[in-house]
Formats: sequence, structure tokens, C-alpha cells
Amino acid sequence: MWGSGILKGFAITMRNMFRGPITVMYPEQKLTLPERARWAVAPRYDAEGRPKCTACLICVNECPDHVLNLEVSKSEDGAKHIDRYVYEVGACMMCGLCVEACPFDAIEMSHEYELATRDHGDLVRVLLRDVDAASTRRAKGGDDA
Amino acid sequence: MSALGILGRFAAMLVLLLVNGVVLIYMLRKVLGRLHLRIGPNRVGPFGLLQTTNDVIKLLTKEDLRPDSADAWLFNIAPYLIFVPSFMAYIPLVFGPTLAVTNLDTGLLLAFALTSLVPLGVLMAGWSSNSKWSLIGGMRAAGLQIAYEVPLLLSALGPVMMAGSLDPARIVAAQSGVWLGFIPRWFVIPQILAFVVYAIASQAETQQTPFDMSEAESELITGFANEYGGMRFGFMYLAEFSNTFIVSAIGTMLFFGGWQLPWVATPAWLAPFVFIAKTYTGIFVMMWARGSLPRFRVDQMLSFCWKVLIPVSLAWVVVWACVQRLWPVVAMAVSR
Repeated sequence: MWGSGILKGFAITMRNMFRGPITVMYPEQKLTLPERARWAVAPRYDAEGRPKCTACLICVNECPDHVLNLEVSKSEDGAKHIDRYVYEVGACMMCGLCVEACPFDAIEMSHEYELATRDHGDLVRVLLRDVDAASTRRAKGGDDA
Repeated sequence: MSALGILGRFAAMLVLLLVNGVVLIYMLRKVLGRLHLRIGPNRVGPFGLLQTTNDVIKLLTKEDLRPDSADAWLFNIAPYLIFVPSFMAYIPLVFGPTLAVTNLDTGLLLAFALTSLVPLGVLMAGWSSNSKWSLIGGMRAAGLQIAYEVPLLLSALGPVMMAGSLDPARIVAAQSGVWLGFIPRWFVIPQILAFVVYAIASQAETQQTPFDMSEAESELITGFANEYGGMRFGFMYLAEFSNTFIVSAIGTMLFFGGWQLPWVATPAWLAPFVFIAKTYTGIFVMMWARGSLPRFRVDQMLSFCWKVLIPVSLAWVVVWACVQRLWPVVAMAVSR
């Protein structure tokens, strides 16, 4: 019938009226994020609280926006030491490719979504600072302890 | 009427207009919010009730700017030319059996004449701003509102013929009682077609979505009001909401029995409340349409008006005139 679409539209909006708002009063109330929501990149730690990062640089190479940077030094015995793991959250598009690429499950897309800052400098984060990188064997098998 | 009486009436009209403006803006934002599954204003005061008051204070205290290249005289006068007719259009409204600004035999005509002055102000604002968006908005408003004036007037003719008067008080009085013992004698029932035309045309007349080409938020920003700020813009905005109230009030008087409750006699003290409640229900329906329908294109709008609404309302006037004339003859023939 001519005009039935208009009536259907009216019915939909009236139904919406009785459904009530789907938005919440944000700072007081917060929605629970879906489990796979992707927000700021965060490092992961093992059971003893040591970072699982092995400083393999795969995430750094993988990042399309070049927002990740690892500054690595080597000690005399050849073990890697992470000086700084820098993350520019302001330029990150939360694509999650770094997390997908990481073979050691050492980083994750966290659920931290309140990323606004008052200072531009806060948009550059240091995820890890001055820690020993996990050895690849320990991270994979855990036999090295 | 004494000078004091006239002043008092004008003050009452002004208060009603301002309160209406504040309430309607809040209502619009809340209703649109709910229709779109949002909450609407909720921060200022309980339930966001003070939001519009704060907006008014903001408008009042803003700097009054005028573009250098604007036509100063027209630019300054246009908001008042939009505001004053919509303020004056409160004169013929009948709020109760004894409550009206004044009784006019041609009150309905006055109301329509005043609302049809609005496009003049809109066109003036659009032209004098010396900005292409304002001009496009103003031209659209002129083309549109003048076009929709015709079906608006024609659709009002049906109830006028039934009541045999242009006096709103008498039109309302003619709608008391019942037909066949249980149907309220509201003119909307025999005049349903005229009512539909009136509803559509009044939506266009008050420049509300889906007929808001002259503002067209997404393409012309605010169209004719583009270069205005501060209280000049406030006047235009207020006039828009006051016009909404007026067309809804006139619709209530023409089609829904004005201040009268159906079936029971309405006490005089209750009449204004009934009238306001009916009017606000009408406004709610207009907002509902506003929240439901997308904007027409300009050509669709104008062809809809000239090719559908005007022929339909003209035909309805002719048909109803014949019915009105022939009904007594037929009734007599049947009873004989």
C-alpha cells in the first residue's frame, strides 16, 4: 500500500520509545565490553610477574602505524635486555596485528578504553622499562623457569 | 477594554510563549532522544530539566554579531518579523469557554494570516545575511511555506463549513455533544481527509522534519538562521516552537473539539488544561514524525504539495460543500 512504509517507520520509532534508552549515563555507569574488544596494547606477565616479552621485535615490524618501538641491549652472556618498550597510543588504530603476530603471547589488546589525556606527552607510553627479556625457551616451554 | 487589560493580556501571551518555548525545546530533545533509544538531556538539574533554561541564558548573554557584508537594516529587523507574527497568533486561540485573549469573528483568518507572514521574515533573514547558505535556506522557506499555506487553508475550510463560522470560539462550541449517542462531535471524524492534509501542511508550515529544507541541518547548517547568533537567533528559534504550538492549537480547535472533553461537560476551570493537553498531544505527534521520517528533497516536496495535497484538499472542499448543501434535502426526502 502506498504510504505503508511511513506507517511502519512510525511504528518502529514508537516501539523504540517504549524500549527505553540503550545508552547509559557514561561516567557513572559503564557497559561491559565484549571479550574481544580491542583497546590499548598492554604487556602480559607470567605467573611470577615477569614480562613474557622476548624482545623478538616481530610486533614492532608488524605494526602498520609504527607506534611500537623496542629499545634492546645485550648483556655479556648474550641475553636480551629491554631498555624501553615504547607505545604511541595516540597514533594506534587498535588493529591488533601486533597481538596476532606475537609468537609468545606477550602482549594483549586490553580493555582500557578511557584513553583521553590532558597532556600530549601522555599519549606516548612506556610499556616496559629496564627489564630482562624472557628467554625464548622459557616463554615457550617454561622448563627454564 | 482598558489599557491595563490589554497590557495584561499581552503579558500573559508573552509568558505563555516563553514557557512554551522552554518546555517544548526540552520536550523535543527528550522525545527525540527516546525515539532514538537515547536518554536526551540529563546533566543540568534533575532529568536535565534546567538544560533549556541554561541554553536561554547562554543565548541572552552571547555577543550580538552581524556580518560586515550583511544588509544591516534587514538583518536586524528579520528576527522580529519572524517573532512578532507568531506572538500575535496567540490572540485568536480559545483556551476555555471564557478564556481567550479576545473574541474575533474572523479569528481563524487572523491566525492563518499571521502565520503566513513568517516566510517573509525568513526570506528577509536569508537575503540580508549575504551568505549563499542563508539565501538558499530563505528561498526554500519562501517556496515551501507559501506553497503549503494553500492546503493548510483549504483543509481548514471543511470544519469552518461545518461550524458555519470563522470564529474559533464558535467552531469549538459547534463540536459539543455526540453523534448517534456515543461518537463525540469532533470534526476530525467526518473531516478525516482534511485533518490528514492539515497535519502534513502544518508540519511543513512549521519547518519541521521531514519538511525542514529551509534549515536542512546536514546541507545548509541552519539555512536562513546561519549568520545569526545570540538572542536574534533565539527569537527565530523561539518563533519556530511557538508556531508549532499555534498550528497544534488551531488543529485542536478545528478538529478535536478545542477545550471540550468528550462525552462529559467540561467545567470552566478544567478547560484550559484540556486544551493544553490536547495541543501537547498534537505537538508530540509532530515530534514523533520528526523523529521518524527522513527529509524530502525540495522537488519531491513541492510536487507533493502542488500535485497531491492541493488537488485533494480542493476536491474535499467541493465534495464537502455538496454534502453540506445536499444533506438536508436527502434527509428530508428520506423522512418523507
